[in-house]
Amino acid sequence: MSLNNLLSVKNLTVEFQTSEGIIRAVNNISFDIPQGKTIGIVGESGSGKSVTSLAVMGLLQKPAARIPSGEIYFNGQDLLKLNEQQMRAIRGNDISMIFQEPMTSLNPVFKVGEQISEALRVHKNLSKKEAWEKAVHLMNQVGIPNPSSSAHKYPHEMSGGQKQRVMIAMAISCDPKLLIADEPTTALDVTIQKQVLELLQKLQQEYKMSMMFITHDLGVIGDIADDVVVMYRSNVVEKNHAQTIFHSATHPYTKGLLACRPKLGANPRRLLTVSDFMTESGEEKIVPVERVQVFDKEQEVKSESQILLEVDQLVTQFPIKGGLFGRTVDHFKAVDGVSFKLKKGQTLGLVGESGCGKTTLGRSILRLVEPSAGKIIYDGKDITHVYHEELRQLRKKMQIIFQDPYSSLNPRMTITDILTEPLNIHKVGANKNERFDMARELIEKVGLKSNHMSRYPHEFSGGQRQRICIARALMLRPEFVICDESVSALDVSIQAQVLNLLLDLQQEFGLTYIFISHDLSVVNFIADEVGVMYAGKIIEMDKASRIYKNAKEEYTRSLLSAIPKGLARETRP
Amino acid sequence: MNKNSLWKDAFYRLAQDKLALISILIVFLYFFVALFSGLGWIASNWSQEVGASNLAPSFDHLLGTDIFGRSVLQKVIRGTQVAMSVGAAAALIAIPIGVILGALAGYFGGWIDDFVTWLYTTFSSVPNIMLLISITLILGKGIFSVYVALGATSWVNLCRLIRGEVLKHKEREYVQAAGAIGGGHMRKLFRHILPNVSHIVIINTSMQFQTAIKSEVILSYLGLGVQGEPSWGTMIDDAKLELVRGVWWQLAGATLAMFFILLAFNILGDALRDALDPKLKGK
Amino acid sequence: MTKYIIRRLLYMIPVLLGVSLIIFVLFNLVSGDPTAVLLGKNATARQMADLREQLGLNKSLWLQYLDVVKSAFTFDFGHSWATKQEISKMILQGAYPSLCLSVPAFVISTVLSLFISLFVAYYRGKGIDLFIRVLCIAGMSISALAYILFFQWFFAFKLGWFEISGFDPEFPHFISYVALPAIIWIVLSIGPDVRFFRTVILDEIYQDYVRTARSKGLSEFTILLRHVLRNALIPIITYVVIQIPSLILGALLLENFFSIPGLGGMTLNALNASDFPVMKAMAILSSVGYILFGLLSDILYTIADPRIKFN
Repeated sequence: MSLNNLLSVKNLTVEFQTSEGIIRAVNNISFDIPQGKTIGIVGESGSGKSVTSLAVMGLLQKPAARIPSGEIYFNGQDLLKLNEQQMRAIRGNDISMIFQEPMTSLNPVFKVGEQISEALRVHKNLSKKEAWEKAVHLMNQVGIPNPSSSAHKYPHEMSGGQKQRVMIAMAISCDPKLLIADEPTTALDVTIQKQVLELLQKLQQEYKMSMMFITHDLGVIGDIADDVVVMYRSNVVEKNHAQTIFHSATHPYTKGLLACRPKLGANPRRLLTVSDFMTESGEEKIVPVERVQVFDKEQEVKSESQILLEVDQLVTQFPIKGGLFGRTVDHFKAVDGVSFKLKKGQTLGLVGESGCGKTTLGRSILRLVEPSAGKIIYDGKDITHVYHEELRQLRKKMQIIFQDPYSSLNPRMTITDILTEPLNIHKVGANKNERFDMARELIEKVGLKSNHMSRYPHEFSGGQRQRICIARALMLRPEFVICDESVSALDVSIQAQVLNLLLDLQQEFGLTYIFISHDLSVVNFIADEVGVMYAGKIIEMDKASRIYKNAKEEYTRSLLSAIPKGLARETRP
Repeated sequence: MNKNSLWKDAFYRLAQDKLALISILIVFLYFFVALFSGLGWIASNWSQEVGASNLAPSFDHLLGTDIFGRSVLQKVIRGTQVAMSVGAAAALIAIPIGVILGALAGYFGGWIDDFVTWLYTTFSSVPNIMLLISITLILGKGIFSVYVALGATSWVNLCRLIRGEVLKHKEREYVQAAGAIGGGHMRKLFRHILPNVSHIVIINTSMQFQTAIKSEVILSYLGLGVQGEPSWGTMIDDAKLELVRGVWWQLAGATLAMFFILLAFNILGDALRDALDPKLKGK
Repeated sequence: MTKYIIRRLLYMIPVLLGVSLIIFVLFNLVSGDPTAVLLGKNATARQMADLREQLGLNKSLWLQYLDVVKSAFTFDFGHSWATKQEISKMILQGAYPSLCLSVPAFVISTVLSLFISLFVAYYRGKGIDLFIRVLCIAGMSISALAYILFFQWFFAFKLGWFEISGFDPEFPHFISYVALPAIIWIVLSIGPDVRFFRTVILDEIYQDYVRTARSKGLSEFTILLRHVLRNALIPIITYVVIQIPSLILGALLLENFFSIPGLGGMTLNALNASDFPVMKAMAILSSVGYILFGLLSDILYTIADPRIKFN
């Protein structure tokens, strides 16, 4: 162990006792965090990265979790040998932590000022007043506006980004030597993500802390990490300086992770995925040259086709209730006069941050939410005011894939039931067997095994569930599909696979897509045309191949600049 | 076995839980005792003298005899019949009313919701015990009044719970997805939402059953319950005067009979909640 | 906030009308003609007609319903059939003994339950937690009647530690009368209370914010008493407040067994005498209590939980 390592994890193994037996979540891993440096720990969900951080904090839930072997040296002291009381003196004081979910990680019934002062009072013995003043000072430092009044707010009165800033203020309050950040930006919008990353970087330098930054997205830590540790299936598969990782990764999994994130500008026709680089058993594969070849969308000429969907001055508003009897006192315009045209076989990408109205727009087009004004013309027919049977018939042609693969499948139905239900409703297929065959055909098309069709949704992973959702949407052979943040909840490596699948299916079935996302790089990859939404309006619309080069609106440019570059920063001297 | 995975899952969880299994056995045992007694196969001659009055428990008379020389064990068995029938009747009345009203209110909202909410708020505003004794007093003493009284009080809680759950599930994406593929209200409500809230009915029924049994005992004790037939409540009422003379077996018999079934339902209720409530999964 | 309270206050009106409707349907529509019961078999038609007139039973149903509604606001319930006394006076007399028993019993049992549930939550999953849970469930499975009979026979009759029955309004004399029923009350409530409180507390213990608190280096004890309890108190307050109106009614059975001249005992006497006006009055009174304290518990809920918005 070299002396300038603040934290040194040696041969750590963590196991969990579950009803299915013992599961090894972390397998004999070692890594170091040097004084004053940031290391990124990268891996997909279930790779063991969060468990590692909880082990360092001594926060693993005992007795379910066991550490059969390994040492965690912090300042030369093995944390695993400390008792709970000694560990408490370190937690929040020398080592502190920020979690992924700012929404639920703050106590809802205490003012944020109190929550920040708490650690100060415990570890630094400050008086209530001193601690409060320090808390206000910290809030100022993490960039919360009007800190002295904001300290009196409750968590629910703040935005997600602000809450994460409060978490950061809380974590740095006792001048920790090590800050652990577990996916601190995953739940945030891209522009907020960028601000939080910059803040963390700034604080790390000011406070001369070491930082352990955990993420599933290599791109995010490019700007911030000195060293990177890549975890895959409970093991560390590669660790090196960030620059080396980004420029000449050696492990195929790392290569796959680097390649799978769509880049602004030219990409290969289909995104590279981890499976292009390694086999299921972990052996390296040679990537065919044609897979890597990028193509420029601007060069591509799609055959001129007719307009399939036209949206004209669409408005969707929700009532705001108020007054004594809960009458509608005002309306909130979620979609405020949106117009566009979409050609057959093309993809329109809609980008915007949470609350911009993109989801409501998608649902209004499908008439899942009733629009208040404007026109939706589909295939030459005004569908704004069709009802009952006519609307039902429309559902055969227009479909939607939702964001959350966990809540969009009925947990009490098998995959067969889920897939054949649309056929039953529309009386497609002569009998049960025929319907089952149709479902089987499609489930294989989306890359799942047909012998899994009697299973229930919870037996599948997030990516697999999203494939099931895609299959369900395609059961009726629609012409037009809205993908509402359909890849946002997935790890980047899975995201690439699903995006590829969507493109393959588009080609095979001649689908027209509206692809809604908060991530411009994803939209840029998949869409032909991109609309940027802000406050219920489309503020800018252009060809996907052009918008990232010459965005006209300030807002679009800020979205663009917030996208992680996926490159390592220059190593500081 | 039910093909639904959640039930299957719950079944395995319950099967692993020895206490829950024993509780299920006890519940079944009571049901069969009640059924056989109802069919007249056992304890049909409870009203006949089998020995001297107030005999202490012995090998001949396991629970002794009462003041008229009748077998206390046979009376306990007749009481079981009353108790279980009351529990079942309360559940049979409460489930359809509670589920249908709760589901309609939660799903459709609007004036239906306003009406149903008003209805159960009103019913829950009259304290249960007042409603129970008022109804039995006015409908006249007897087992039928007890059924009606328990039915009138037991649907309220279930209705409130179902409404709340349906309200939550209505907004889930899987229900919206069912709408997107062209499913109508009935399909969304009955095929999608209700199966996902059905565990509430099971858990609530197991809780409701013991409330019903306890209420019946108190009503019978007050002389409002079953007439001319032994019930655990009337046995305890008898014991009130007997205890001073050292005759404890009538109280013990009724109390123990009640203790085991209530204990079984309590444990079962907890086990069902653990097994069926997805919120608790993984804890 | 004020708007919310006003709205909740206004909502009391339809609920109160509904409650009056239930009571009206039960006591005026279903119950039939009470005059035969009241006057006995030998009553003449003339006497019955007079009595009907006197009791206001000749009025149209609509007016009779209005009488019920009116009594819910004015607490003027007329006279008892059995004792001929004015019911509102009887209620005032009965309230004191009832409260002497129920208030101390309620306060002690709630505080005790809260302590026990914090204790078992701290030792969750350990032997002592399991032991107390088993004790609670077993305790809840024994009939209230059995507790009363046994305790009265054993502690009052056999050991002679307490008065067997009766009441003395003078302080501190009443303590020896209410002590035993109060103990039974506490024994009866601790089981369900501890079970509920424990569930609520454990629900909170698994929340993300508790992990945050741990990561700050707070002790498990501080986390429980500060972070968890403060959140768990929100449902606990609601649960406790909603029970308060039942204190006014007292414990029907306890008062009956121990001959405490409270409202509970009065209700059971009325029940035995088929004294409809008293039953009706108690039903209305206790419902009004439930509605008022339901409102109070809702308001406290919104105060205790800063997340509640008022629209």
